[in-house]
Amino acid sequence: MTMPATQCLIRLHQEHHSLEDYQGGVPRWCSGCGDNAILAAIQRVCRDEDLRPEKTMFVSGIGCSSRLPHYMKTYGFHGIHGRAFPVAEGIKMARPDLHVFVNTGDGDCCSIGAAHWIHAIRYNMNMTVMLHDNHVYGLTKKQASPTSPLGLKSNTTPRGSQLAALNPLSVTLGVQNVSFVAQAVDWVPEVMYDIMSAAFRHRGFSFVRIIQRCPEFLPKMFEPWLHDPQKTLLLSHKDGLQISAGLSKTYRNQQEHDPSNIDRAREIASLEDPLPVGILYRNPQVPCYEDLRHPAQMRTPEFIRAGFEAELDKVTVWPDQDAQTQRAA
Amino acid sequence: MDMAARFQEQFVFHLTGKRHGGELDAIDGLNLRPALLAGFRDLTRLRYDFPVVLVENAIRGGSVQSLSSVIDEVLQQVAPRGIEGERLRKHVLRLEREIRALVAQGATGWLSELWTLAAARFTSGPDETPGKVLEHTGAALESDGEVLDCGHQLPARVLRHLWKQVQVEKARTFHADAGALAVKLSDILRAAFVHSVEGRRAESLKASVGGPHQEIFDFTAMSNLLRRPGAGDQLHEGRRKRIEHALSVLRSQRFFATPEGKQPTHDAGPYEFLFDDCASAVQAFRDRLPQVLELARTMSIAQLEADGCYIEANHDPLFAEFDASALGPTDMATFPNYLVCIAPGRIDAPENVMLMEVLASGLPIKILVQTEEVLEDSPVSEGHLAFGARGAQLASTAIGLDNVFVLQSSSSNLYQLRDRVHGGVACAGPALFSIFSGPPSPVSSLPPYLTATTAMQARAFPAFTCDPAAGTDWASRFSLEDNPQPEADWPVDSLTYSDEELQRVSEKLAFTIADFVATDRRYARHFARVPRSHWNTNMLRTDEWLALDTKDQAGKVPYVLAVDEDDVLHRLIVDGKLMQAARRCREMWRRLQELGGIHNSHAERLLARERTAWEEQKQREFASLKDATRAAAAPAPGVAPAATATPQAPVSTAQAAPAQAVPAEKPSDDPYIETARCSSCNECTLINDRMFAYDANQQAYIADADAGTYRELVEAAENCQLSIIHPGKPRKPGEPGLDELIKRAEPFA
Repeated sequence: MTMPATQCLIRLHQEHHSLEDYQGGVPRWCSGCGDNAILAAIQRVCRDEDLRPEKTMFVSGIGCSSRLPHYMKTYGFHGIHGRAFPVAEGIKMARPDLHVFVNTGDGDCCSIGAAHWIHAIRYNMNMTVMLHDNHVYGLTKKQASPTSPLGLKSNTTPRGSQLAALNPLSVTLGVQNVSFVAQAVDWVPEVMYDIMSAAFRHRGFSFVRIIQRCPEFLPKMFEPWLHDPQKTLLLSHKDGLQISAGLSKTYRNQQEHDPSNIDRAREIASLEDPLPVGILYRNPQVPCYEDLRHPAQMRTPEFIRAGFEAELDKVTVWPDQDAQTQRAA
Repeated sequence: MDMAARFQEQFVFHLTGKRHGGELDAIDGLNLRPALLAGFRDLTRLRYDFPVVLVENAIRGGSVQSLSSVIDEVLQQVAPRGIEGERLRKHVLRLEREIRALVAQGATGWLSELWTLAAARFTSGPDETPGKVLEHTGAALESDGEVLDCGHQLPARVLRHLWKQVQVEKARTFHADAGALAVKLSDILRAAFVHSVEGRRAESLKASVGGPHQEIFDFTAMSNLLRRPGAGDQLHEGRRKRIEHALSVLRSQRFFATPEGKQPTHDAGPYEFLFDDCASAVQAFRDRLPQVLELARTMSIAQLEADGCYIEANHDPLFAEFDASALGPTDMATFPNYLVCIAPGRIDAPENVMLMEVLASGLPIKILVQTEEVLEDSPVSEGHLAFGARGAQLASTAIGLDNVFVLQSSSSNLYQLRDRVHGGVACAGPALFSIFSGPPSPVSSLPPYLTATTAMQARAFPAFTCDPAAGTDWASRFSLEDNPQPEADWPVDSLTYSDEELQRVSEKLAFTIADFVATDRRYARHFARVPRSHWNTNMLRTDEWLALDTKDQAGKVPYVLAVDEDDVLHRLIVDGKLMQAARRCREMWRRLQELGGIHNSHAERLLARERTAWEEQKQREFASLKDATRAAAAPAPGVAPAATATPQAPVSTAQAAPAQAVPAEKPSDDPYIETARCSSCNECTLINDRMFAYDANQQAYIADADAGTYRELVEAAENCQLSIIHPGKPRKPGEPGLDELIKRAEPFA
């Protein structure tokens, strides 16, 4: 069907953006940090989806990852530790017309912000979430995070961590109303871009865990995966990712996975070696909280004023009977 | 009279339609009905699709419900498991039967009213308890609305009801969109006022603060401080006028009724969109077109203004030229549809012409054409029957027009087709609903529901849908699936009865158009009853008779099976004129079947051709295989049998040719980066940002290999965690330490 003439007129002079329109400054991350790859990919998504910078919002908590809004030339909210989700939900509720992105780290999301994370999945509000997972607290100079592997020696675990790592994918897939779960790695930028595009286009809470390198504190952590492509399992499907021929030459370990199959998604989520990369689960039918709570009546200033007046009238004491009678009339 | 003479009399009737001799009886007054309808004498005792409830304020899909489904909903809520629940269930089902009987007797009203009326009948009996219980149960009714039986009024009422639902939904969407735009535009004006000189006067500032706190501020001093507005705070005069005009148009539009609780902004009230002829609807559409354009234009301008995207230099000329040609079906779909319900008596030739013009124009006009007769005496040839060209043929003609939603059905099927009717009413373009409801006054002993449903069964008024939105080809658009047994010429059902020796007999019986006509006392002259003693083997059922070749039909007389009020079987022979009409009916049905992909002649021809080609191909393959086997069995002189025992597959040229060694790509001596794999980690650009740079995707490439040293290339390759930098060979022979660097570069070659 052709586009209506009125829509053509509206779009006639729509601006087209370049990558520079989204680049907000020189990143202060360490060289070699995986955050750079995530930043580059999300800027490409913004450009290719032609998002208007003034209609785009990046929200973050605290941590290396959460510096990302500073490097975007869009609106941003560098929040407080673990509270990126409530802020993003409030923004989406008040301004559903904005494109909301959330950048959070493994400490910010999976530790202090875990309660907000669980309920954000349940709410399924339309936003794109990037969990920058480098398995360590980097900003505070190497402490173990919830996703740190068993035995990791850090400033808080000098004899090695004693708890098994939390798996953010399994947790997300276990929460009611989950609607989009994917995993990317910063060293395969082509797939990361495709996943982020799919996540943005999904209407609902799109959760993308991005495994990223921390060259400063865990320089050797992902070397085996970097040097052996067979240790990365690419998930492809006609309704998921389509792997390019060029990439297939390097990454031959591929598996077809239907993103609508949540049981299989849960099995894949628990894999550690090879590392699954792709869209694990997608269900566009899950309703978004902002749609469920969309008010039937528009909240115009007149409507709000009338509501206030009605509430205040309930507790108003009228000084004389005549005034009360007049009011009742 | 001997058997031959008796048959002669039957044959003469078949040929001439006249009864000679006294052996054949006229069927007038016998009150016969087709044998397959013997079991449907009292519809009030059956739970079926009718009556329907036109539910008010229902969500989509539930706005037309059958009485039985509403009762089932109530029972699910109020009748618990166990004996008490079972007792209540029996009472409620009795009440349902009572309501059905009331409606069949002509009672009208909402379901809650009829429920009370029916419950009162139980209260008036010796035991008042059931009546009181039922009155109490009525409170659980969640779906309420007008109750309608399958009758002459049904098509227009159902269509109007669904049309109203669609308009309510459209109005809701419009008010949400227009309201949001109005709020945004008002905000722009309010913000402009607050920033203006006028808005910063002491009086304005004072008015913006609540009464109890007005005394604690010095608004004059505040005004002096704020008096000088910044240049960017001023609203351009042209923009102000544009916004004010947009707000005025949005508030004064007459296409949608004002939402409840709001004062109407226009004295004349909303427009009317219901008409009873096409000309009036078209005239109204033309008269309102300027207002349609103005509102569509305003909505676009308001959207641009609200987003801050209106560029006067670009948009002003375009909106100045905005005319009717700019409006497409999608734009028009946001406005209310026009509904035209043409009364059966008014569908004459001029109305037909106007109707086809409206449908061809693509205007969003929905037209109901109600048909009362499918058979009528031909005005051209006396005594012959013609299919009602005025109504029944319209839908067939309309499907030839592109992008017209067409639905043809009998009224008895409207409940089953309610979602499709809703789809047709809601679609963007024109729609035609051709509905057969039967004659307004009774012409048979059958209730209107059976008259309507038998018309569809007999293929006299087949049901079909053509929905352009469903796809671009006939297979997607056209559907015959709502007809009974659409793959057959006539639907077949089984009839079970007792013969003269009280033995149970069961046989398959087709329901043809002759059976349908037999229900209409106006066409009784086309039938004659044959006494049982005169039944003979030359009598054939109508479907069997029609299936014969013309030469085989000679000497055979077609008949239909009918029953009287005592359910005694009779054979009614049929005259040739009616059988001629039946043949035409069958041929028209077959044309429809072809459109619906059933026994499609093109497809069948293609299939036959392909099958023949496939068989020939297989024959050839079989023959060649046979030859090869025979050749293999006879050993060639000088060749060892073992070498030829297995037939060799033909060797392709490619295989036969010696394998070409693919030349390995010679590694380049120039340095390069696998850019697509770059993770933008900055390692290389920090070493030398003139040698290494980022492309448009923020991925690294070698911008200038001569902008640095070979050492920098090697160090970048070593630092790159993905090992995607390849330093190549040194470009400057004099660079110190080259031997060592070349060695270090070897892993990255």
